[in-house]
Amino acid sequence: MATITTPRACLAALAAGLLVTAGQAWAGSDEDAGKVDRSQYTEMSPKELAEHLIFEREGFAIHDKTQEGGTVADRLRQDKLQETCSGVDAGDMDKATAKQVKRMARNSLEYPDGGIELGDWQEGQKVAENAFGYRIGHKVDDHSQREPGGLCINCHTLEADKAHRSGTVGPNLVDYGDQRGRTEAMIKYTYEVVYNVHTAFPCAQMPRLGANGILTKEQISDVLAYLLDPESPVNKE
Amino acid sequence: MIPIPKGLGMAAQWLLVPLTALVLSGTAAAQCDLCTNEDPQQILFQLIDQVDSDYLTQSDQNIQMMPRNPAYFVAETGKDLFHEKRGPNNASLAQCDFGLGPGVVEGAYAKMPRYFEDTGRVMDLESRLVHCMKTIQGFAADAEAIQDRGELRQLLTYIGSQSNGYKWAPSMDHPMEKAMRDAGEVMFYRRAGKMDFSCNSCHGQTGKRIRASVLPNMNVPQEWTKAVSWPAHRVGKHSERSSYQRIRGCYWQMRKGKIKPRSDAAIAMKAFWKDAARGQPAILPDLKR
Repeated sequence: MATITTPRACLAALAAGLLVTAGQAWAGSDEDAGKVDRSQYTEMSPKELAEHLIFEREGFAIHDKTQEGGTVADRLRQDKLQETCSGVDAGDMDKATAKQVKRMARNSLEYPDGGIELGDWQEGQKVAENAFGYRIGHKVDDHSQREPGGLCINCHTLEADKAHRSGTVGPNLVDYGDQRGRTEAMIKYTYEVVYNVHTAFPCAQMPRLGANGILTKEQISDVLAYLLDPESPVNKE
Repeated sequence: MIPIPKGLGMAAQWLLVPLTALVLSGTAAAQCDLCTNEDPQQILFQLIDQVDSDYLTQSDQNIQMMPRNPAYFVAETGKDLFHEKRGPNNASLAQCDFGLGPGVVEGAYAKMPRYFEDTGRVMDLESRLVHCMKTIQGFAADAEAIQDRGELRQLLTYIGSQSNGYKWAPSMDHPMEKAMRDAGEVMFYRRAGKMDFSCNSCHGQTGKRIRASVLPNMNVPQEWTKAVSWPAHRVGKHSERSSYQRIRGCYWQMRKGKIKPRSDAAIAMKAFWKDAARGQPAILPDLKR
């Protein structure tokens, strides 16, 4: 086994490594007769087969590195809450399951040292309108170029005059603070919903922005200000 | 008939004639037991008559452009490529069996994915096409012709367009076809990743939007047939895109990593997709935002 000593050899090795990587992106995805035994597919449950196709058959580029320092396999592996909320019939969830999901969500909560305060609504607006971050695959979001955001505007209408380019998958939040008031209880409740939506709405489609490490506690405080501050455009309809 | 907008100059109108002829020749030859003889725009109008759908009606401009879909040119190039003798074996794809017998492309895509005895595998159009390019034309897996999505897209657009108006009817006769469809259903609802998303996060309700885009609902077949009608010209991308690229784009947006082309995972997803649109006419090639 030769030891690589010269810079030129290093470059060659690097180039070879890149080629191997590029090849792997296509390998395992294009299998034909004889090479793969698929006879067991019909013996598996649909769930077993789905897991098999994702992980064992590597239907995804599961070895790709992610921005948070893991791999795509880590992203695709489900935690208990994701698994519970993936049922085909998640819509008509029974009370016991709803309670279990809420309990899981409550266990994930962490609050800022010194209590929840409203931050800077202008910073919160930036976070809410930023849908960059954590995308990976044929294109990769480079977090050193731009900070990831909270994706809020993709699904929620927050400012009335931006309604035409705001999503409607989630509830309309225009006038959030004026409608709900700004009591300590409302601020705490809002923090918890942003941190982990399942505390109040078990198996809702919204990401667990705090619990999943998408937003910091400080960023959530800024989003709270954006929702609740009387000066925020959310409350200036 | 294909409406030719008033106000276009004579030269522009003459340019439209070959397109018109192409559209008509594509459908007039069809022996339509399971299809309509309508062009994509007419099919869409009929769907709009059936259901109240913000998704189907979201862009008047795009609907008006459908008879002059740039994808028709891509399909023509694909047709030439299909019949051209290529590869180490100097063979055309005329003997490729897409499930209805060697060389039969008309209506074949509407019945895919399906199980193929010769490979022992459920295959979608793209995997079957690549299989033929390897076995009939002799291309290696890493050949430019297979790796270059541009050429694949031309072939897919040609073959796909030959199923315009055919009702989606992916085969469920073989146990493997059912198993793949059911695994695709699990994948559709399977929440994972940094954002906890599944396909159902966006495609389980009607009339909802991500930003300004109205989303199709998997549970409404009239919406879903348009959603799965790929290849299509993407106005925003200025190019034709395949169903694989749609699925890849959704997984990218979900932050769940890259799904591999022609993988069994991608084929399972397509089997579920097409089954959810069963009975509705395919709109091919489609024109999308």
